[in-house]
Amino acid sequence: MSKEKKMYEKVCEYLGCDLDAEPCKELQEHLHKCPQCEVYIDEIKNTVKLYQKADECEETPDSVSKKLFATLNLDNPKQD
Amino acid sequence: MMENEEKIVEKAQEGDKDALARLVNEYHDRIYHLGLSMLKQEQDAEDMLQETFLTLVEKVHQFKGNSSIYTWLYRIATNIALKKLKSKPRKYPHIPIDEPDFKKIHEKETKEEMEFDFEKVNNYKFRKTLNEVLDELPPKYKTVFILRDLHNLSTRETAKILNLTESNTKVRLFRARNYLKEKLEDLKTEELMV
Repeated sequence: MSKEKKMYEKVCEYLGCDLDAEPCKELQEHLHKCPQCEVYIDEIKNTVKLYQKADECEETPDSVSKKLFATLNLDNPKQD
Repeated sequence: MMENEEKIVEKAQEGDKDALARLVNEYHDRIYHLGLSMLKQEQDAEDMLQETFLTLVEKVHQFKGNSSIYTWLYRIATNIALKKLKSKPRKYPHIPIDEPDFKKIHEKETKEEMEFDFEKVNNYKFRKTLNEVLDELPPKYKTVFILRDLHNLSTRETAKILNLTESNTKVRLFRARNYLKEKLEDLKTEELMV
C-alpha cells in the first residue's frame, strides 16, 4: 500500500469522526510537518462550521406547534 | 435528555396524556428542524412532524428502551423524510464522491486556503446557495451529514437511526463533508467567500 493511500485512510477515519477528537499519533505527526494537509482539514472544519451557522435552530412557528397538539389531542404544556 | 425521562416514557406508555404532551413538547422543535433540513419545504416539514408524533402516540407502547426516546423519534422521522424524498424522484447530478486527491492537496499552495466569512450566513442568497449545494448530495450522504454535523448526534446514534455500521457512517460523513468542501471551493465566487 502506498504511503499516500495509507495516509488517506487515516485522514478519512479522522475526518469521519468528531473533528475535535484527537487524531491518531501518526496523523498528528504528519499534520505538524504538512501545512497542506492542515489547510485541507481546516477547510473541512470551516465548511462544517459554515453549515452549522446557517442551520442554527429556530423555534417551531407557534401555528405549527398549535396544530400539532390539536391533531394529537393533547394539551400544550407551554400554554398552561 | 429530559429529567426523569424514563419515568415520563413509562407513563406515556400507560396512556398518560400529560406525559405524552411533555415528550411532544420536548422534542418537536428538533424534529421540525430535522424536517426543514431534510425536506426544505415548510409544508413537508410540518407533515413529517405530524406523522412522527402520531406514530409516537400510536406506538409508544412498542418502545423497548434499547435506545433513548429521541433516537427512536429521530429514526421514525428520518424514515418518513426518506420516504418523502423517494416519492418525489429526482435526478441527482453525478457526484464524484471519491477519495480526496492527496496529490492535489499536497501540490496546493497553503496561501490558497479558502477563507470563510461566517457572517455571510445571515444573507438569504448565500444561505440559499449553501442549501442548494447540500441538496445535491444523494439522501444517504445528506442524511448522515445532517444528523451528525447539524443535529450533533453521535456516530453510534446516527448508525443506529440509519441501520448502518459505525464505520459505514463515518465513511458517508467523510464523503459528504469532502463533497461540500470541494463544491464550495469550486464556487469560490465573491458572493460566497471573503
